[in-house]
Amino acid sequence: MKVLLMGHPNVGKSVVFNRFTGVDVITSNYPGTTVEYSEGSMRAEGEEVTVIDVPGTFSLEPKDKAEEVAVEMLEKEKNAVVISVVDASKIERGLYLTLEIIERGYPVVLALNMWDMAKHKGFNIDVNRLSEILGVPVVPTTAVSGEGINKLASVLKRARPIEVETISGRAGGRV
Amino acid sequence: MSLTVDERWDLIDRISRETVTAGVYKETLTDVIGEITIKPMTGIPVVIASLYLFWSIFGSFAGFFTDGFFVKFFDQYWLPWWQLHFPDTWEWLYYIVVGDPLADNCLEAFGMLTSGLFVAVGVVLPAIFIFYLMLTLLEDVGYLPRLAVLVDTILHKIGLHGYAIVPTILSLGCNVPGVTATRILETRKERFVMMTLLAIFVPCGAQLGIMQQVIPETMGLVLLYLVIGYFVTGFVLNRIIPGKSPEILMDVPPYQKPLLRNVALKIWMRMREFFTSAIPFVLLGVLMVNVLYLAGFIQWLSCTLSPLFVYWFGIPEATVGPLIAAFLRKDLAVAQLSVIEMTWYQMVTAVVLVSIYFPCLATFVMLLREGWKELLGSLAVLIVVVTVYGGFVHLVGILAGVA
Repeated sequence: MKVLLMGHPNVGKSVVFNRFTGVDVITSNYPGTTVEYSEGSMRAEGEEVTVIDVPGTFSLEPKDKAEEVAVEMLEKEKNAVVISVVDASKIERGLYLTLEIIERGYPVVLALNMWDMAKHKGFNIDVNRLSEILGVPVVPTTAVSGEGINKLASVLKRARPIEVETISGRAGGRV
Repeated sequence: MSLTVDERWDLIDRISRETVTAGVYKETLTDVIGEITIKPMTGIPVVIASLYLFWSIFGSFAGFFTDGFFVKFFDQYWLPWWQLHFPDTWEWLYYIVVGDPLADNCLEAFGMLTSGLFVAVGVVLPAIFIFYLMLTLLEDVGYLPRLAVLVDTILHKIGLHGYAIVPTILSLGCNVPGVTATRILETRKERFVMMTLLAIFVPCGAQLGIMQQVIPETMGLVLLYLVIGYFVTGFVLNRIIPGKSPEILMDVPPYQKPLLRNVALKIWMRMREFFTSAIPFVLLGVLMVNVLYLAGFIQWLSCTLSPLFVYWFGIPEATVGPLIAAFLRKDLAVAQLSVIEMTWYQMVTAVVLVSIYFPCLATFVMLLREGWKELLGSLAVLIVVVTVYGGFVHLVGILAGVA
């Protein structure tokens, strides 16, 4: 199985990657630290999994070279499972990229990273309901401290491609 | 099926209305500091203070280890030992490995194991260690994006935007990751301008370390020339290169406490890089220069280029040798310059030339990886800049009565 770590710049994809694989890639607190992809492997549920740390991108319409690398990576890995890493306190814009990836037919797992920070900021996210609506596994994580990382690895197999109409149907409150 | 942009946002609205509630946010000390460091009125003094602090720590830390320990060790024990014990059966081999048998310090000897190791381990190692420690802290705390916001207006004048400060600062450690980091810039124009400026005007950590050691009094002037060159060349390139330099919308992440594990890891990775690639290159550089001297090539080249060097740049023809070494390692070239007989202003000119002349081999390879057209373009700019700017530095010297 192949797993792509995708998400906006500076949400902690590389930290998750280091946690998963033990391969060390440079991580910093500024957007655009990762401009090339790195590959590593881990064992999850008794299976060998290849993990790819993809440069941050805001959407699937690339606007710089690092984002081009990200989109090319996604297009090349047709059979990959995507872990969409979002900053839990900026969940809406993270969902934008997540939906784009779902629409392209990839099985997705949603990682609500920087969960500690989001809580501190007073956000409350109904993880179960979110998972129900999206039809994908949703895991709160705090990658810097390692919280939720094992859970994230264990739900990878439950990721399935899903139709966006189904999601739309489940989300209430037509506007 | 895929949604339109509006449909997607609409769906996200519906999802988040059902799942997300935002509580009341209390401002913390971190937020207050965040504000202080990003508003120009308070932010600019903070930049200046940080620069000053950075510089003092860099200088005193590197000086402490280099002058306090390595200079004594290398000059009093290491060099004499090799001079005495290395077999002189083959004179050429002695010359390459140990260098001048009469030299009394490791800068003058210029052998692979004497000057080569002294420059790499004795001077550059402490300098880049402290540099990377401070850079890593700046990166992990989250200061760089704030700096980017502060310098945005100035950098727009040279066809870039604030975020170009990130590749620039990374280049001050080593130009190689600096070149890779240009990928965060949006247009080809921006990337070209950035790569060219990095390759020409931004000295690397190794070079800063050796300058601090051999020309401490005049280093400020060298850096001033480089900063002026960076902006003037950027300004000109912005006018003549077609293309756009868009505005940016940037996320400024909150300040965070650096994690010890991450800081240690990054420094370890960067130091490992230094041991595995920089040190061999320094030794190789000494070897190459010594072989070229023995073969008489450098003497021939010095003679040929003599008019350009003596009349146009106003520096002795002997500086041609270091310029050859500069192709492999700039730190080595500066070390080599320091033992050539010349006036202080000639030294400034020569060090500026070493900096702006051809990027070191590792940077060259990175530029090639990013695109050969860009590389050729950068080289064309470089040749013009070296010639014009080198002459300009000489002219300033003449007008000031010091050259």
